[in-house]
Amino acid sequence: MKKLYSVFKQGIIFDNPLLMLMIGLCSAIAVTTNVSNGIGMGLAMTFVLLFSEIIISIFRNLIPSMIRMPVFIIVIAAFTTIVDLMMKAYFPDLSKSMGVFIPLIVVNCIIMGRVEAFASKQNLPSAIADALGMGLGYTWVLIGLAAIRELLGNGTFAGIQVMPASYEPILFFILPPGGFFVFSLFISFNIWLKKKMEASARKKELVSKKEAA
Amino acid sequence: MKKTKLGLILMLYASIACASLAVVYAFTKDSIERQSEIQLQASLKDIFPQATAFDVVENLTSPEPNIKFETAYEVKSDNVPLGLAIKVSGPSYGGNATLLVGIDLHRSIAGVRIMALNDTPGLGMNASNPTYYVDKAKKVTFLGQFEGKFLTDPFEVKKDVAAITAATITSKSLTKLIKTAGDAAIAYMDQKVMMASMEDEKPTGETSIGASPAVSTGSPIGAPGASAGTAKESARPQAGGK
Repeated sequence: MKKLYSVFKQGIIFDNPLLMLMIGLCSAIAVTTNVSNGIGMGLAMTFVLLFSEIIISIFRNLIPSMIRMPVFIIVIAAFTTIVDLMMKAYFPDLSKSMGVFIPLIVVNCIIMGRVEAFASKQNLPSAIADALGMGLGYTWVLIGLAAIRELLGNGTFAGIQVMPASYEPILFFILPPGGFFVFSLFISFNIWLKKKMEASARKKELVSKKEAA
Repeated sequence: MKKTKLGLILMLYASIACASLAVVYAFTKDSIERQSEIQLQASLKDIFPQATAFDVVENLTSPEPNIKFETAYEVKSDNVPLGLAIKVSGPSYGGNATLLVGIDLHRSIAGVRIMALNDTPGLGMNASNPTYYVDKAKKVTFLGQFEGKFLTDPFEVKKDVAAITAATITSKSLTKLIKTAGDAAIAYMDQKVMMASMEDEKPTGETSIGASPAVSTGSPIGAPGASAGTAKESARPQAGGK
């Protein structure tokens, strides 16, 4: 149980797919122009990641390593298409505003990377914990990025006007350069947080060693 | 031998994936179709609030090879024609875009609604954003600026059509779709009026069209553009309706 928790935790800060592993950045910067897109993309991505990791982890011994890549792609593409169809059927508005980025989950490196590096080698519970952790790590960054960009670039939060009417939106933040700018701030924040957490963990270790001695 | 085995395994995975996709597709198909039908009906009603019937027009085709008219409707309110609505699709920035264009008898655009658009969120996608204004002072959206616009206008982006910021290609393609649909609709209306007046001594075409006194939309009447020959009969609805 403790091991599962540590796997889960890994994806949120220490191995955050966007901020530390730096994969899957294209769609992350492209869709984070408003908060509802960020939430939708985060959930869609977590769904695909979770089910792909489950399937791959279950069948990991039945996939010959020579053809593992095509098999992974088939599994991922199937789940992405399922998400796409479901969204079109039950959340047409969200599906409309996400446009082409839902089908593009297929080529998102995070899924391919986690399936190849993790799920194809680990048992089912670890794979589920990894998928949930990575999904959460991806989602919080998307929502954070989108919140800042939407607030400064459009004066709204999830489509609701927050800034006073006299506020002149800074278009820069909605455009890709602004995305990179906010994103880099997130990376530095995450590294600062990681160092802080590591330092406090080391301190705790020292204290417990001293107490034992 | 080994390669054949690998191929077979891959085939097995692919067929399982196919089968499961087929199930989900069959499951969601009705719902997706219903959604787009609801959307289409709602948009038609939105553009022509007074309309009671939408009759499908069969023989209306696009003059442009890459632009397609999916369906066209003759919009009527108690058998009085209000105009035409054309569902048009054609190339845009992120693949094909589908629009519903309403044209009223004043020879102007009654309204434009987006049916399907794949574009960059936050940029080209702003075409469908109801709170994105190309004219902030007047709160006019990109599609809103076409409302009441006469088809004799040039329809040129950055001249008489305001573009969406950082999405010029989208703006141009959507404008072209609207213009193409609008021109075809006008040509169709002219043809119909001509046929109707040839058919009968009594100007049936004129009365039926003329009898729609300004019910259509609140678009400016008698603005420039509505002019010349046959246009007069259909463009000035108040003339016959007195």
